[in-house]
Amino acid sequence: MARQSKGRRKLDIVKITKESNLLVTFSKRRYGVFKKASELATLCGAEIAIIVFSPSMKVFSFGHPSVETVIDRFFSGNSTQTSGVLQLAKIHRNARVRDLNLQLTQVTTQLDEEKKRGEELDQGNKAGDGYRWWESPVEELDLPKLEHLKASFEMLRENVTKRVEELLIQTTNHTQFYNPNSAPVNEALPTDPNNDVFDESLVYNLGFQNGNGFF
Amino acid sequence: MTRKKVKLAYITNDSARKATYKKRKKGLMKKVSELSTLCGIDACAIIYSPYDSQPEVWPSPLGVQRVLAQFRNMPEMDQSKKMVNQESFLRQRITKANEQLKKQRKENREKEMTQVMFQGLIGKSLNSLNMMDLNDLGWLIDQNLKEIHKRVETLNKEANNSQVVAAAATYGAGPSVEVKISPEQAERQAFEVNIDAMQRQQWLMDWINPQEPMGFGGDEVNNLPFGDANHNALWSSAFFP
Repeated sequence: MARQSKGRRKLDIVKITKESNLLVTFSKRRYGVFKKASELATLCGAEIAIIVFSPSMKVFSFGHPSVETVIDRFFSGNSTQTSGVLQLAKIHRNARVRDLNLQLTQVTTQLDEEKKRGEELDQGNKAGDGYRWWESPVEELDLPKLEHLKASFEMLRENVTKRVEELLIQTTNHTQFYNPNSAPVNEALPTDPNNDVFDESLVYNLGFQNGNGFF
Repeated sequence: MTRKKVKLAYITNDSARKATYKKRKKGLMKKVSELSTLCGIDACAIIYSPYDSQPEVWPSPLGVQRVLAQFRNMPEMDQSKKMVNQESFLRQRITKANEQLKKQRKENREKEMTQVMFQGLIGKSLNSLNMMDLNDLGWLIDQNLKEIHKRVETLNKEANNSQVVAAAATYGAGPSVEVKISPEQAERQAFEVNIDAMQRQQWLMDWINPQEPMGFGGDEVNNLPFGDANHNALWSSAFFP
């Protein structure tokens, strides 16, 4: 796959000439600035306001505790109000922010793990050496190989179907497994071996035709 | 660049917090400045630290006032449309991260099942798979079969167009690699492959050759799956009940 972008490179801090690049840069860097501001507020308890105009003259702003309060403080010569109600509001807000930061950390950790797992899986999937030709993309295979592969796949699919049936039968047997001598306390479990729930047609509806793989 | 990951929480150690504040404030100002220059846009930053009652600003007190005036001149709705605070910003980030996580999990699942599929192709037992796995596996197999079918059709079309008469029964002799096949021959091949199961099993069994070293000699077609006796055993348990 040819590289679309040039990746990380040293950038001269002058206005970007190409408009598409400029818009992308604006979008990414604006987000980055907000992220840094958010971190500064969390880590050091700073109060911050950032206001940014976009190339199309829309305005983006970030503020902690809020853009308004910081602007007010800036204009009012900086007296921080310490009324009881505001303090309480502040405490609640800080608690919520703390929770959100925790949540964010959790999700990003999971994301990193999954990404790492993805890379490991890629390693395993490399159709290395030309040995495992059947793992190569279909475009690289000639007709005999394709026919051969098709047959193998069809065989495998049959086995999958068989195995699904096996599992369904096992499950049916399990639910029939209760003591027939115990007094029925309430409506007994259905024991009809022809229970509709395990209808065989279910086997063929399990996404084979629906194309419902991977949710 | 930091070496270790910083926990996203208020720094309780006073000196560490102060040092972090100095560094990060400087970095933030720089980033805002770069953004402004690179994109040719107006911006401002106001930062109040616990250490100083006077704010630190970018670009300058006057510059800030100018930008704020510009800001206040806009309709109320435009001002607040893209306004965020810590909470809303973090929520947005969490949502985005969750979406990425879901996508990555889905990709990983597909990669994983692809491995399972290729292993199954060469005889590994399906017994360790649960119903969900089998379902996904079946779907994946169908996807692959679709691709193969499409490719076969394309090749057959090309054979039609190129009007190359297939030479000798190269298929009968033993498949070598790139051969232009006439439509009739292609059809015959397809037919031969689709015959009854017994014969198909025999045909696949022919590829199993325990004496043959697992190398790549000349004939590269001759090495679908079954390299050694172990695979052979697995194969027989799965396919010859």
